[in-house]
Amino acid sequence: MVVIDRVEELERGERIKGSKLITADEFYLTGHFPGEPIVPGVLTLEGMVQSAMILLAESHSRGRLHCSLDRVDRVKFKRAIVPGDRVEFLVRVTAKEEGFWKFKSQAQVGGETAAEADVILKVALQEVGFEL
Amino acid sequence: MMESHEIQSILPHRYPFLLVDRVLEIEPGKKGVAIKNLTGGEWFFHGHHFYPPVLLLESLAQVGGIVLGSKAKEENPEGRVRGLFAGVSNFQFHRCAVLGEQITLKVEVTQSLTSLYRFAAEALAGGEKIASGQILLSFGRSPSAEPNPP
Repeated sequence: MVVIDRVEELERGERIKGSKLITADEFYLTGHFPGEPIVPGVLTLEGMVQSAMILLAESHSRGRLHCSLDRVDRVKFKRAIVPGDRVEFLVRVTAKEEGFWKFKSQAQVGGETAAEADVILKVALQEVGFEL
Repeated sequence: MMESHEIQSILPHRYPFLLVDRVLEIEPGKKGVAIKNLTGGEWFFHGHHFYPPVLLLESLAQVGGIVLGSKAKEENPEGRVRGLFAGVSNFQFHRCAVLGEQITLKVEVTQSLTSLYRFAAEALAGGEKIASGQILLSFGRSPSAEPNPP
């Protein structure tokens, strides 16, 4: 399930800006909630995680990359995101450690922070090929 | 024990975002144990065979909502309450649950500040802990003119 429409900006190894438009006929809104569509906070979190994964993947030029969500911390859902909104996912790398990348991320609507999270991805890079 | 129809009388969530199947144990306002079954054909298995980590967070938060909602229902069966997923702290994923597994969801209130409730949350599958951390829900009386959710 992809929850990002576009990558707007990307600086390899540093930061990414992704975006998603919210429309009323997204399938999950029928149950969340009937008659009162609100994007589930966890899908906003998923947007921040996927942005971080794209940034990670785009920061490696070769090799086979495998990454998974290891941990989330300081996650705050501050305001509801609803149909008609345009969400921007702003994610930057805060630490690169052996086997882990850490990110600070925000989801903004109209410049206002709707959600924020610290995201930690577990990274395994399997080298393929060789450098000459 | 609480079956799906009763869960639906407490939570406003519906398909495709009702992510708790059955409540096994509950102490209203304190703690609860519930299950989520993973079987083929669910929308999130499209192209995958594992339960997305963020949906595991949602399942645990919904059990938290049932724990708080069942207490509110005891106190005032006609009252309307409003629950919101407010946050997550220090939540560690050890592995993903996969198709064919039954996830056990455990939550317990560890702190409450006016309308904000902090839970210790844990998910188990195949007899092992697959994820744990803290979740925060804000929960209180619904303003009269507003509908029930989120």
